[in-house]
Formats: sequence, C-alpha cells, structure tokens
Amino acid sequence: MINETNKIIDLLGGTSILAKLLGVNLSAVSNYRKKGFPARLHYKIASLCNERGISIDEKIFGGISRNILPMDSRPIEILSEVSIDIMENLVGKEFELIDPPILVSADKVLDRLGENIADRLYIFSDPAGTRLCLRPDLTIPTCIHYLNSGFTGEKKNYAYHGKVFQFQNPSSDEPNEFSQAGLESIGGDSSLDSEVEIFYRTYDSLKKAGIKTLNISMGDISLFSLLIDVLDIPIIWKDQLKTKFWNDKNFKLLLDELSIKKKFDNKLIYKISDLDQEMAEVFVRDAIGLSENQSPVGRTVREITERLMKKSQELNTKPLSKNTSDLIRNFLSISDSPKEAIKKLKSILKNVDSKLDIKIEIINERIDRIMNLNIDLKDSIFSLEKGRTVEYYTGFLFDFNCPILSNSINIAGGGRYDDLMKSVSSDLDIPAFGAALNLERIEKVIAKEKLS
Amino acid sequence: MSSLLLALPSKGRLHDQMNKFFESSGLKLSRSGGKRTYSGFIEGIEKIEILYLSASEISGELLKGNIHMGITGIDLIEESRTSASKEVIMLSKLGFGKANVVIAVPNSWIDVENIKDLSEVASEFRSYNNRRMRVATKFKNITRNFFLNNGISNYRLVDSAGATEGSPAAGTSEIIVDITETGQTIEANNLKILNDGVMLESQSCIFSTPSDIWDGIDLGPVEKFLRIISARSEAINKAELFFDYTYDINDLEVNLFRKFNANFSKGSPELGEAITLIVPMSNVTSCSLYLTSLGYGPIRTSQPNFIYNKESISWNILKQSIEKA
Repeated sequence: MINETNKIIDLLGGTSILAKLLGVNLSAVSNYRKKGFPARLHYKIASLCNERGISIDEKIFGGISRNILPMDSRPIEILSEVSIDIMENLVGKEFELIDPPILVSADKVLDRLGENIADRLYIFSDPAGTRLCLRPDLTIPTCIHYLNSGFTGEKKNYAYHGKVFQFQNPSSDEPNEFSQAGLESIGGDSSLDSEVEIFYRTYDSLKKAGIKTLNISMGDISLFSLLIDVLDIPIIWKDQLKTKFWNDKNFKLLLDELSIKKKFDNKLIYKISDLDQEMAEVFVRDAIGLSENQSPVGRTVREITERLMKKSQELNTKPLSKNTSDLIRNFLSISDSPKEAIKKLKSILKNVDSKLDIKIEIINERIDRIMNLNIDLKDSIFSLEKGRTVEYYTGFLFDFNCPILSNSINIAGGGRYDDLMKSVSSDLDIPAFGAALNLERIEKVIAKEKLS
Repeated sequence: MSSLLLALPSKGRLHDQMNKFFESSGLKLSRSGGKRTYSGFIEGIEKIEILYLSASEISGELLKGNIHMGITGIDLIEESRTSASKEVIMLSKLGFGKANVVIAVPNSWIDVENIKDLSEVASEFRSYNNRRMRVATKFKNITRNFFLNNGISNYRLVDSAGATEGSPAAGTSEIIVDITETGQTIEANNLKILNDGVMLESQSCIFSTPSDIWDGIDLGPVEKFLRIISARSEAINKAELFFDYTYDINDLEVNLFRKFNANFSKGSPELGEAITLIVPMSNVTSCSLYLTSLGYGPIRTSQPNFIYNKESISWNILKQSIEKA
C-alpha cells in the first residue's frame, strides 16, 4: 500500500512522464510532490495506478475511498458529505463510473416515458432544429452511453451521479433540478444476481449514510403478465388486460365489460368471421376500396385484418367467467409482508399453471437472498399492484421511503426494465436493471432525523 | 382605485365576431389615441381598461393571473392550462366562435369507429412497429388529458405547424386532433371523426382570474358591464313565444320544458292570461306546432335583444370568486 505522493509519482514514471500523462507542466508535478494531488486529478491518478496494479492508501486522497471519485471534469469538493457517503457505499469495483449525456433526444425520451410526462420535461430545439431535452433521469442517458460505446448485449455495470431536470408544480417545494446517484446493469442475462446486488447496494448505502427508519416496498410486474398469458381466454382479451393494467379505473371497466356477452356495432366483424387470413385480407382491401398496390394510411392491410379477425373470435367466446375475474382481482389485491404474500400467492394460484409456480419460486428465492443479506423484510410490503401507475417496469421493482418525510415520497427506487433498450434503439432486445437515489431527499431525511 | 384590465382579441375572425357582439350589446369600444393602438375603453363605462391581444396571449395572461378578465376561446384556455396555472373562471359563454376539438383517423381504418377501438389499435400499433402511434395536433395539453382519461397510452404527439389534417397523408403522423366548425376539411382529407371523438366543444367566453389583483378594483362598473354582456349572450339564439292560455292542460309546463327546453317567463300560468315562453331558436317551430296541435293559438314569436335576469349568474360567479380569493 503506497501512502506517499512522491512514491506514486516515481512509480508512475517520474515527474516528466507523469506531466505528459496528465497534460500539465513539469512545475505542476513538482508542486504535487510538495502539496499532494489536487482533487480534480484524484480519479485520473487512481485509474493510472489501477492500470499498473499499484495499490494506493486512501490517505493519499484525503481519506476518501477511490471508487467514489467522480469524473475528472467534476471536482470532488462540490459533492456534499451525504453524496460522498452514498457514492462510497453504492459504487463498487464492478460498477464503472460514467458521465452520460445531459442533452438527450426529446423524441427518444417521450417515446420511452409517454406523453404524460411531457409537461415535466425541459424541451427545446437546438439551432439545427433537433428537438432535445434536459435529461429527466439518468437511466435513458446511461442506455445511450451503452449503445454509443458500441455494445450490443454484453453485460455492463454502470454507476452514475449527476443532475437531472424535471419541472415541478411551483406550489410544491420540490426542486426542478436535483441530483441522482444510481446503478444500472445492462445486458447479459436477466439473472437474480444483479437484482439482489443492486437492491443491496441501494439499501446499504442509504443505511450507511445514516438513515435510521427505512420503509421498503416491492413487487414484481412480470407475474401479472404471466398470469394473463396462462389463462384460457382469447388473445385479444389478454392484450387488452395487459394494456389497461396500467390504469386501475379502465382495468376495472374492462373486467366488467368482458364479463358480459360481446356485441359489436361494426358489421365487418360479423362478415369476416368465416374467412381465412388470405380471404379476409382480400375482403378488407375491398371494404377500404384499395387497389392491388395501394396500402392504407398509417397501417397495413394485415394489421387491420388481424384486428378484425381477433375481434370476430370474440363472437364465439363465452364471457369471462366469474372464477377468472375473481382470480385476477384477488391476485391484484395481495399486499403483505413478502413471505406472507408468497404464501397467499401460492394458495390462490395453486393448480393454475406450472409456469406460475416456477415464477413464484424465483420471486421467493429473490426474497430469501435479500433476507440472507441481513435485511429485515418483516415490515416491508410486497404488493402485486406495485408499479401499476407508472407503466415503466417489466419485472422486480422496489422503492424506499422514510416516514419522517412522507410515505408517499420515494428517496430511492428501481427495478427491471427489459423493454427499455428496445425503445432507445428499436432492434435490440437487451435486459436492464437499475436503481436511482434522490440525493437531496436523502439529505433532507438525514437532517430531519437528526433533529427529531 | 385602479382600473380593471379587460383583454379582447386584437385580430382575425374572433376580433370581428367580438366587435359585432359588442355592437349588438350597445357597447361602443374606443381606442385610446387612434385606431392602431392596442389599448382602449368602453364608452360610458368607466375604470375598465381594454387591452388588445391575440386570443392565445389572452389565455396565457389569464392563466398567469396578469389580467382581470378576457375574452377568448375555451380551447385556448384548456390548451394553455398547466400545473403552474392560476385558476381561471368562465363567467359567460358568448355564443360565437363555436368549434369542436375532435379526434380523426384515416378513412381506411375501417376497424376503428370509437375511442375504445383507437386505444386497442394504439397498443397494437406499438407492438407491430416498435414505436408509438403519432398524433399530429396543435392541442397537446387537451389531447394528453383526454387520452389519459380515456385509457389511450401508446401514442406520441407531434407538432403540427400548418395544416394538421394533411399530416396522415404526408406520413408525418397516423392520426390527428384538430379543431373544426363543420368537419368538412377533415372529410376532404380522407379522415373520419370518431363517433365519440369530440374532445371539447369550444366557443368564445368571458373569463376572469380570481386573484389578489382584484384588490382595490371598483366593482360597480364591472357589474354593469357583466350584466349587459350576459343579458345579450342570454338573448342570442333565444326566441319569445306568446300565446293565450285559453284552457288548462296537465303538465304543460313540464312537457314544454322537457321537449323544447322552453321556460315560462313567470310562474305557473292562470286561465285567460297571455303567456310568454323563452325558447331556444332552434326549437321555435317545433314548439309552436306542438302548441297549435294542443289547440292553442295564434302563437306569436319574436326575438329579444336582451334578457336581464334578476340575478346575473356571471356577476354572482365573479363576486363569489373574488370574495373567496
């Protein structure tokens, strides 16, 4: 363990070589010999030593562990004490600290997050006419960083720290720009390992930063889609149930609607019911009045035909049985401590489909592995409705809040979003899992807890 | 005491229609210091200062709470409203500038007739194309709120600078949300309005902002102005219908109201009295024929210029909102 600045300079090749490596004057390096390395060089020095296998004492950097050092463009002095604490425990060796772009394509962000967030975004056009926005989170920029680095599915673990921008209602006291720290695991296979690791690091860094009371709530969105997939109901209902899932009111209306016999105003649905796909397409072409090489505006004949055919299948389908709709309702109403929730899930989904049993075992294993890390989940909530309102996650998801702030304000949260990379670059199917922490809120909690 | 700021549309069709409305109300608008200035006053009504702004500026200033009252369209208020907006209250509809904000899809979408269809197609579109269905519109806010409330989530809004109704054919969007008076332009572009696709029925209204800018405003002239405006707008598209109440028919009052939205101008009629009904213009013929079929007649009709109610609803709304603020 090297604990003297002089020795490090010598090991890195001496004054003149280091001056070249760092792009500074010789006299600057002589200064470092006397006064130590300035904070803006900590990261660079640390990575130079890392490359050469030189292990440095933390004392060299003023007692701050080297894995928390931000990019060289961002001097460490500007980070608050809490942020340093958080970063120190959040970012491990396996996570590469990156500095993703602040300006991102507004269209990409909107395509991902949906229009309902549009009034929270800072959107503008650059002089070339490109529509840009200030990043509202660091997840999409991290995905862009991944793609820009040329990766197409390889596993990469990233860590970040930086400002994000979201317009807030002026009557709230939430800031429009705030700091996020976070981890993302992109690519590889969607194993439990990265989920448990990122969950643990998030929890651990919050605890070590000094937060006393932490509420955990979690869920797993993928179980709902699996349940719908294995039910014996028409595909079009499955699509509808999955689409309306994100809005409770519309979902309930849909369940009621499916429970009564279908009637359609559109006569084409009746007319198409006896035709095969090919004949149906001819029929649709004819009904629109298209000639051989014309196609409809915005959609294809195939899309329109398939939809009409799916609808016509409903004509011969019995309404959704009460058993099935009750099963869905009971399933969604489960909200309990994780272990209790698993018990309830097993009991209501008994003998439905073996795929569900396997999935529940995976969820159970995840909970076990988290508990094995000495995290007490007795008072945590596992809810099957978790994540329904945000239409963002695709699997395991979690968040943390503190009673001293408000149970409805998350200080950190994350989850799996396996469809995210697809919406950033449409041809790539790459799993992703991540978590983000709101540093200002964490500071607030710590300050409030100290006072109480 | 300081003056009240009333913003009026400065140009275009809305300006012409508004001028006509004021003229028919017997209110004379004057510009301070010449025709081309952008401020003025109403002759005979003191302490109301008029600002001429574009209709969209008026909704913006109202929502920021910078002016007391303004005349603009419901569509523009709803479109400019954000989470940061001040409260804006509609005092009276003025009966002109009527148009609907509607959802229209290509005629070739023969499987789409209503919003439910559209919401299904939107999510299927995303799985077929790996991107969201694009909606071209100038009404981003209205569209977002309406789509949210109606369960359409898989879509993207695209700016429409010029003719919105041309964008599906041009390939810059799949569907549109646009404002239309008759629907003709939409039809002419091979688009159809969904059965339940009227998102907003707009017309010109007088709005106010109930904030602290009302402190120290002399409300006397405001009351007079609002009473005139609402008496005039109440009278537009209404007719008076006179007949002699020669004999009793059970439930006549209720039936006239239910069938024709016709009101007796005073309480229950008594035998032998001359009766006045206030009827929407569109129901004059049907209501008259109904009465003759019952054996009443002759039915005489005329059109009122003003209907001054004892209590002016718009004045009451304003008074209460200022007191609350």
